[in-house]
Parts: sequence; C-alpha cells; structure tokens
Amino acid sequence: MYNQSAIEIRDQFVRGERTAVSIARYYLDRIAKFENQIGSFLKVYEDKALYQAEQLDKKRAANQSLGKLAGIPIAVKDNILVKGEIATCASKFLTNYRAPYQATVVDLLLAEDAIIIGKTNMDEFAMGSSTENSALQKTHNPWNLKCTPGGSSGGSAAAVAARLCPLALGSDTGGSVRLPGAFCGVVGFKPTYGRVSRYGLVAYGSSLDQIGPLSVYTADTALMMEVIGRNCTRDSTSIPEGPEEYLSQFKNSIQGMKIGVPWQFLDNLADESRHAFEQAIESMKQQGAQIVEVDLSILKYAIAVYYILATAEASTNLARFDGIRYGQRSPRAKTLEEVYDFSKEDGFGAEVKRRIMLGTFVLSAGYQDAYYRKAQKVRTLMLRSYKEAFSKCDLIATPVSPFAAFEMGSIQDPVQMYLQDIYTVGVNLAGLPAVSIPNSLTKSGMPLGLQLIGPQKEDRRVLNVAHFLEKILPFHNATPKFVNEEVKL
Amino acid sequence: MSHKHPDHDNWEAVIGLEIHVELNTKSKLFSVAPNHFGDEPNTNITEVCTGQPGALPVLNKEAVRKAVQFGCAIQAEIAKFSKFDRKSYFYPDSPRNFQITQYDQPIVKGGTIIAEVNGEEKSFAVNRVHLEDDAGMLKHFSTFAGVDYNRAGCPLIEIVSEPCIHTPQEAVAYAMMIKAILQYIDVSDCNMDEGSLRIDTNVSVRPKGEKELRNKIEIKNMNSFSFMEMALKSEIHRQIEEYLTNPNVPQDQIIKQATYRWDPEKKETVLMRRKETADDYRYFPEPDLVPIILTDTYIEDIRQALPELPLQRERRYVRNFDLSRHQAFALTSDKALADYFEEALKTCSNARSLSNWLLVEFAGRLKDSGETILSIGIKPLHIATLVNLIDQGKITGRIAKSVADDMMARPGIDPAIIVADNPDYQPLNDQAQIEGFVNQVIADNAQSVADYKAGRDKAFAFLVGQVMKLCRGKASPQLVNELLKDRIEKMKI
Repeated sequence: MYNQSAIEIRDQFVRGERTAVSIARYYLDRIAKFENQIGSFLKVYEDKALYQAEQLDKKRAANQSLGKLAGIPIAVKDNILVKGEIATCASKFLTNYRAPYQATVVDLLLAEDAIIIGKTNMDEFAMGSSTENSALQKTHNPWNLKCTPGGSSGGSAAAVAARLCPLALGSDTGGSVRLPGAFCGVVGFKPTYGRVSRYGLVAYGSSLDQIGPLSVYTADTALMMEVIGRNCTRDSTSIPEGPEEYLSQFKNSIQGMKIGVPWQFLDNLADESRHAFEQAIESMKQQGAQIVEVDLSILKYAIAVYYILATAEASTNLARFDGIRYGQRSPRAKTLEEVYDFSKEDGFGAEVKRRIMLGTFVLSAGYQDAYYRKAQKVRTLMLRSYKEAFSKCDLIATPVSPFAAFEMGSIQDPVQMYLQDIYTVGVNLAGLPAVSIPNSLTKSGMPLGLQLIGPQKEDRRVLNVAHFLEKILPFHNATPKFVNEEVKL
Repeated sequence: MSHKHPDHDNWEAVIGLEIHVELNTKSKLFSVAPNHFGDEPNTNITEVCTGQPGALPVLNKEAVRKAVQFGCAIQAEIAKFSKFDRKSYFYPDSPRNFQITQYDQPIVKGGTIIAEVNGEEKSFAVNRVHLEDDAGMLKHFSTFAGVDYNRAGCPLIEIVSEPCIHTPQEAVAYAMMIKAILQYIDVSDCNMDEGSLRIDTNVSVRPKGEKELRNKIEIKNMNSFSFMEMALKSEIHRQIEEYLTNPNVPQDQIIKQATYRWDPEKKETVLMRRKETADDYRYFPEPDLVPIILTDTYIEDIRQALPELPLQRERRYVRNFDLSRHQAFALTSDKALADYFEEALKTCSNARSLSNWLLVEFAGRLKDSGETILSIGIKPLHIATLVNLIDQGKITGRIAKSVADDMMARPGIDPAIIVADNPDYQPLNDQAQIEGFVNQVIADNAQSVADYKAGRDKAFAFLVGQVMKLCRGKASPQLVNELLKDRIEKMKI
C-alpha cells in the first residue's frame, strides 16, 4: 500500500475495501519499523489516530457522508498547533507547551476526516535548512541515513519519503517545504502567500510564512490544497478567495507553455545539478514548451534581503517566549530580568539566538534605514522583477538547491548554510506559489529537485505543470531502498 | 510651595498632554475577548491577547469607527490610509512583548479643542490621534506578582496635543473638553478611577519671550483633573526655582529628561526614573495586519451622524437659556449633568436658577462625599420643584437651603413633601407678626437705626438680619426690607 497515493487510499476506504483502522495500523507499523532509523516524528499519535480511525469506520458503516481526506493518515509539522497536544517547534523552550487552541489547517483537515498521525521534527522555530537545528532529535534522510533531509520541514519530508504516511504538512518561509521536498525526493508545495491560513502556525517570518503540503504524488498535494487553500477570518493576511479546484483542472499537456529560465542566476551551479536541470528543461521543450530567458539578476541580493527581513520579523515574533506565560522558565531565575535572560539562554538554540540578535540589530535605531528599510525597498524591486519576468512567460523554472542532500554536520558555517536557500527565498519575498518536484537522482542516488514558480495566485498553473512533468521526469516515483519493504499487516 | 515669587511671573510653562482613552467597544482591538472592566482576572482573554504562539490579530471595525468619530468631532483630518506598527519592549503586562500601535501613519491628524478658560474661549491644537492596544495589569501580592490580561488588547486611542498649553487651568479645561466630547459621542466611559481615561503630561518652562523649548519632564499617575492641576502647578514652580537658583549652570543641565509621578499624599511630583537616552522601540510595520483604508463616504457618513457636541450645546445654552458662558461650560462639560439639567427644564423654566442650584448649591454639598447629583439619587424633577417653590414664593431662598440639606440627607424625597411636612419651612406671611418683629428690632438697636439714617447702608442690612433671625428665616426678605424701611421712615427722628 505504501506506494499508493493518498487519493487511492481514501477511495479504497470510501468504497469499503479497506477500513480506516487497517490503514492507520499499517502506517503505524511502518513507523514502528523504520522510525528509529529516520527520526522524523517527535510524537506519534498512536492511540489518537486509531481512535479517529475507529470513529471513521463507524461513520462509514452508518452511511454518513465522508470528507475529501477520509482515512488518510497525515503528519503535521510541530509548529502547527493541535489543540490539547504539545507543540514544541523542536525547541527546549516549548517541551511543556500544550496548545490551548487549534490551527485553522488542522480544523480543516479534521473536518474532511483526515487522521492526524503525529507531529514531525523540524529546525527549531523553523530556522534552518537541514533540520539539524532541532533541539530534540536528529532526522535522517531515508535515501542516505548519513545525510540531512533538508529543512526546516525535514521531519515531514522524511516521513513522506519513507512512506510512513502519504501526506504531511510543513511550513515554508524561505524554502522550508521545497528544500526538504527536493532532498527527500517528494513533492513540496508553497502556496501563494495568504492562500493558506497562518492561524495556529507558530510565526517565524510573518510576511513570508506559508503552510504547504508534502506528498509523493502531485495529485495528493493538489487534494490537500483544495482542503486548506481558502480564506480564514482569523488571519488578516488571508486572501479573500478560495477554495479552488485543482484536480479537475489538470491538463495533459504543456504545449505552448512559456517557461522562463533565469540562466544568468544559475551561473554557479555544480555540474551534476546543472546537468540535471538542463535535462529537465530539455524534456519540457520536447513536450512543446517554449523556453524563454528571463532576467532575475536582482535575486543575487535575495539571501541578504531575506535574512534581514525574516530575522527582523522573527525577533519580534519570538519575543513572546519569555518564560512569563508559558513554556519553560529557567529555575535559576530570581528576578524579572533573570526570568527573561535565563529562560531565553536555556530555551533557545544557537541558530535561534543568532537570528533574534540579527533581527533586533537590523531594526535598531541608527541601523534600521540602512538594513531593514533598504531590504524592503529591494524586496519591492524583486517583486517588480518577477512581474516583468512573468510578462514574458507563464512559469519560471529553476533548480531547488545548488546540491543534493549533504551529510549531517558537514556544513558548520551558518552563512554557508544560508546559501542553500539561494533559489528558494526569492519566492517567499515575492509571495509567489512554487513547487519542488523530484527531477532525477545523482550518481550517488540522491534526489535532485526541480522548482516551478508561478505568478501570485496562479497556484493552479503551478500544480498543473508539476502534475504533468511528474510523469516524464527521470525520477519517476523512485523510492528510497531501505523503506522498500512491505510490513506485514 | 504656594507663595508667589515675583520672578516666576517672567516665566511661562509649555505643557503637552497625552491622553489615553479606552474605547467602549464590545470586544478588544485585535481579539474577540470581551472589553469589560472589573471581572475576575484572566477571564476576558483569548489566545490572541495572551500572546500564544500562532495567534494573529484581527482588527475590530467598531474601534476604527469610534476613532474616526472622535477625529470628526474635533475637526481633524481623517487619514484615508493609515497602518499599524510593532513597538517592541519587554514587560510582563505585554503578552507579545510588542505593542501594536500606529507610529508614523496615524488614523487622525491635527484637530482642535475649544474650551472655556476663565470665561474666555481658547483654542488648542491636537497633533494626532491613533489606535493602539492596551497592556495587561500587574497586581502585586506579598510574595509574588501576578499579571491580569483582561485589559491586555483593549482598544485605546491616544490623543496627543501640540505643546500649546501654558497653564494648569488650560490643561484642565483642555482635558475636560476632550472628556466631554468622548462622552457625548459615546466612545468611552471616561472613568479615570477605572483607568479608561489616563493622562500623562510633558512639562517644561522658559522665560517669557524665549522661542526655543527647554528640556521637559513627564508626569504620570495623575488620576483626576484636580490632581493634574496640582501636579502641574507644583512641577512648574519646581522647575522655575531650579532655573532661578542655578543661574551659572548651563540651561540644559538643570532640568534633565525624566519621568515623575504625582504623589497625592506628599502633594508633589516624585522622580520615578531618569531617561538618559530615548528608548529604542524598533518600530516597523505590523506584517500581520493590512492597512486601514477609508473612503470619503465612510468618513462623511460618520461626520453627518455626529450628535450635538459639547461646544454646540454650550453655545445653545448661552443663546437659548441666557446662561453665562461659564455656567454653560460647566454644565455641558459633563454630558450626564447637561442631560439632567435639560430634564429639569421640562418642568421648570428658570434656567439660571436651576443652573445655580446644580453648579453651586448642590455641587458644594456633594463635594466631599464623592457622589454626584445623579449617583446620590436626587431626581431632576425634584430640583425643578425646588426652584419652582422659590419662584412661586412658597419658600424663601434661605428656607430652600435647608430643604436642599434635607434632600441630600434623604435623596429621592420630593421637596414639596419635605416642605409640607415641616412647619418650620412654612413661610411667614403674617404681616402683623413681622411688623411686630420689626418694631422690636428697631427698639433694641437705636444706634444702628441712627447709623442707617446717617447714610450707612450696612446698618440696614444688619437690621434686616436681626428681623430675619426673629422670623427664623421664614419671612420673605423683600417683605422685611419693605416693612423695615417703611417703619424707619415713618419714625420720628
């Protein structure tokens, strides 16, 4: 079953060919078998999932109408709140934080009869590109256990890649769904900014964050988007539209489509990645697409702009973690100052501290003009650049990252880590919809991803082309070897 | 502290007021939690106003409307585009450790407050009015401090004046008029005891004629208009003294930026903290909220729907009821009092007398009780009845004062009944009896009679007083006057 799509599994449940309990049990067994080597879950909701599955079976038996995600076990990144359950954001600060309310996306999933199977590992507070910044555990890439799964939604990507569940939710602020998607050989989609509610997503970069699905098949991501891509009255940045239909709108051709490629910007790609990307472009050409050169040279400032704006917003978003109302309070604190200082000292990891300090600095008096305001202006120039590019093409194609998944611990320099995001951050800065789909494998058998970027609100166009290319790209639903075993039911 | 120093006359104060007003919306500015004072701690809260991770602000449209109403009422410019900013600072009463406020693009710009100061109408300029959310409240217990987030997130408008106020009296008049306007358009309870109206002031002094502003200090914690007046008087005096007694120290070293609080026991301003450098709040636009965009129609509709404002009502009172400007201002400064007055006018047409009884007689009797004419339970109809009784000659002015005392002691009782029940209040109309008293007084006070005949009017007043004493105040003074004059004239020298 593990290579079946979420849609197929749901259909089998709805038709009565499988029970929800057996589906849940199946994936729980896979988790039991493989998880100790992968480490993708911070918490598995074994009892809760089986209970939900039982209720669902009863519902089906009573001939009640069933939701679009009925019976599908779904993993949720641990910065998305499930009411009554601990949400750690992979931080020591929140190991005791029990969510008093629920994220809109979780409400939407449950309303469509999804089974929440557990919470996944991530970089602490979503800050990182490898999930190595998790304060709680390491997640290993199912394709090569020595390698990182990418980040910050590494747990969700690894879980899907290892077929521990068919669908997962992650969050993407600078590439945190797309990069792990690429490293783990699964589909990772970031919707147009505002398409999916951020209510109940622990904020990192407020003007950049979006929750996005991870799945083996594009159709499953499209299904998820049909459920979660809609207006939310509790999120003021939610676009007043949706839901949209994606599945019924899939076309079987990209004939005549104009694909923009910013060749200049890809100058520094390593050989293997370059080759894989050029092959993908060639395939698209063969399928009737027109390849157009676009100028996105402004994106050479993208990392700088991103790390100024995201950290500025984060420095204020994380200010609430002060040991006063919830989370861990340092036991050695005796005064108010110490409660603040020691709780943060003890609770936050190095990368989180680094970004809070950076963000505070770029907003501080005497520096705000030169850093924060300047970065906002350059952001506007990037928006214009993309708009200009889209006047010449329908979608933009780029690689997702310069390299495939790297070995854990191999990148120690924070700035070198930041450079992993070079192709992904521009998309968040401009609020565009973008997807990472598995393109091919490297010589050493590691996945390389292809990124497709659409104009604002053209989520459908992006998913459409992704769905089409999925069938023709060389990756062709490859599966990591070690999880390629059936677990006896 | 109260002695007048002639040198002080050469100095003027420059005062700016920052008034924080809690709007009386049903729910908070960015969360659906109830906006209500006095409930059990931490019961009017949601994930938004306790800064839970993942919570997001959603703007309360009613709060925007009320801010615009106030802007229209003070004839300010309503910004068609305004936005919110994050203001960062750490304190336990701040659930997110940043306040959502409006920094550089507030919803209301400019504006004018016209208030009566010492009988004259003065115009004061408002700099801006903006929306922001309130902090929670720290409560101190013996071994720990607790935070109550009921107030966190409540909608505030901050009204900032230009530094155009020059005396404590002006400050009070300005603040009272703002309070009145807020009450008239019903956007706030303006309850200084409950903290729904809070005033901070910035004060500096300078020699008259000097153009530049000298260093200022801030005074907080003045929770009544009279405390504010006292605090300003005290601080102005203190600052001038500092300058006068340190003639050789460079001017900007004498008064340094600091925050003071008003100590009502010591009756002086007490230093809270020095401000060596300005706080860096790291303002930047709030990314979780979209800007407020208003249309001309929206603004005009609000402007058209404004009720009669205090100044209009004051002018109406002067025009229609022939009240003095001062009386009219005093009545209309408090909407509830003006409403009370107009209610009483339904059954009594003597506006001047009613006004006097409300503003002087009863106000004086209420002063130390902490009550108002409304809270004590005396009905407008009863004040009207009292005035009517006097005008109809049924009681004298003097008796009326005793009746008023009785009304205070037993609020809610009709004065007509009080009068009917008390034989001492029945006026003395028996002329023969009064003549008898007149004769007695003349006989007993020959010297005074002689003085009066010699031209000293004071003597006559004395004689009248003596007669009224014998009448136990129940005779009409006019009648006594007539009879006494008449009798003395008819007397053989």
